[in-house]
Amino acid sequence: MRDGSLGCSSQINDLHLRKVQTYGFLDRVCQQLDLTLTQYEEAKSRYEAVGTWLADAEDPLLRTSVIYAQGSTAIGTNVKPVGSNEHDVDLISLLPDGSTNMEPAAVKRVVGDRLRANGRYRDIMSEKQRCWRINYANEFHLDITPAIPNPACRNGGELVPDKTLKCWKPSNPKGFRDKFNERAKLVPALLLEKAQRGVTASDSTVEPFPVKSGAKGVLHRTTQVLKRHRDIDFERLDKSLAPLSIIITQLASKSYEYCIRHFAFDNELDLLVHTIKFMPLFIEKREIGGRTHYFILNETTTGENFAEKWNDEPQRAAAFYRWHRKAEADFARLIETEGLDELTAELKDSLGEGLVKRALDAQTGTLSAARTAGRLSVAAGIGLTTAAAAKATAMPRNTFFGRREQ
Amino acid sequence: MKFGGCPILTPAQQLLFLQRSEVFPGLGTLAGNKLTWRCDRRPTGLSRLYKVRLTYVGGETPDVIVEDPDLPLLAGGEKLPHVYSDRPTRLCLYLPGNKEWEPHQRFDQTLLPWTDLWLTYFEDWLARGCTDWQGGGEHPDENENASRRERRRFEAKYGRRRR
Repeated sequence: MRDGSLGCSSQINDLHLRKVQTYGFLDRVCQQLDLTLTQYEEAKSRYEAVGTWLADAEDPLLRTSVIYAQGSTAIGTNVKPVGSNEHDVDLISLLPDGSTNMEPAAVKRVVGDRLRANGRYRDIMSEKQRCWRINYANEFHLDITPAIPNPACRNGGELVPDKTLKCWKPSNPKGFRDKFNERAKLVPALLLEKAQRGVTASDSTVEPFPVKSGAKGVLHRTTQVLKRHRDIDFERLDKSLAPLSIIITQLASKSYEYCIRHFAFDNELDLLVHTIKFMPLFIEKREIGGRTHYFILNETTTGENFAEKWNDEPQRAAAFYRWHRKAEADFARLIETEGLDELTAELKDSLGEGLVKRALDAQTGTLSAARTAGRLSVAAGIGLTTAAAAKATAMPRNTFFGRREQ
Repeated sequence: MKFGGCPILTPAQQLLFLQRSEVFPGLGTLAGNKLTWRCDRRPTGLSRLYKVRLTYVGGETPDVIVEDPDLPLLAGGEKLPHVYSDRPTRLCLYLPGNKEWEPHQRFDQTLLPWTDLWLTYFEDWLARGCTDWQGGGEHPDENENASRRERRRFEAKYGRRRR
């Protein structure tokens, strides 16, 4: 939000710059969590090959099948798992000719049998509760969930097996993706104005160092840092209670829209912190039979409650609220740190040491590359920058020397 | 007096350039032949605020000292990289005799930008647990002969460094 308080304009400028660059550092952290472009393209060509293999089958049910990415791969919020390079790539194999007359277990088996008939997949596939996994070691694994059309859904939703494989339950991965992307495109009024003027720091026309990649927006990055925060937080706890990614994603996207519609922001960090803060507003609670029931509904279909399990296992709800309080505090506190070392120390605690170290390497590496290339300068009121600025001094070549007082 | 074809800048001339600088605003004094320039530096949006003092006596080598915060304290007792001394924290910003700073060059175009750069690498160094300085450079302890040679060259040019 806009700094309403009065004070020395340079202090306001410093705070603004710190927020802009703190977000810039979080953006770098997220770049380390992303699927790389190579990984993404590799995964895509691998799952398209799977799709072709399924559709080339004799079985009429498979002949019309289509494979597509769902979940974080579809919306671009992948998070590299802690201590591993293997990304999850979640896929739907939609069987348009499938119907609710068919047993979910039987449909799943049809897909599995066809995959197993291919020597390339046979040895690297395994069965999961609701899907088939094809594992490309050290790269990613493809989780393929069968789905059939949901005639009762007006938004083109689908049905996927429930975890017992006994019945079908509504889902709408494409609707979910489109709704998320629609919200991600919302930009707060002040940020938009800033982008149009090409201004990132108040009273200045200079982009401070580090220059942001800008590839993904605040909603994507908020979702990614939250998922990573959860992964690290639950490392030491009962991992089975960790909030589902889809819950984090849904609450973040609703809260993000709420923040943009109700407040004005002049920097991305404030938007991220407020988005986190208001997430619980979008958990619906109803008292049923003297007990609290939780609803986090998929708005793009009927009958899909992401918080379904909370109602059987209330400790999941408690685990969410505990984690959320910690995440809110951890990200709000970033602005109180002094210096790159304190910022990274805070982030190492909440997002993991190796990840933050890689982001630091990337950030300082960019600085050093700009220095070597003679593109670094010091701009008035900004500090080190790689952008051209009227009031700036070029960074001349130097060799740090030094003798220690013995 | 000329230096390598360029007129050397007196402390008074350096002070004038500093006072005109919009990039490195600060307060300066001139006492006889001794210039003192104090400025607050925050090299990037993420950095701390540092109080820096530059002193220069005409004909000698300039000193850049970080007065606040206490850098050895921030380093938790680890030896600081690329300094002439820990306390006061006197930074080694350039290789003497390597045509990086010479007396005809302005401080606001050399030593002060390098100070920002040094402080940025310093915080990176802290973030790495006081190890793995990313700013490059030379440590005479690591290459004693070269440093002695440099120092001789330096002292031949500018006279002995005042300790």
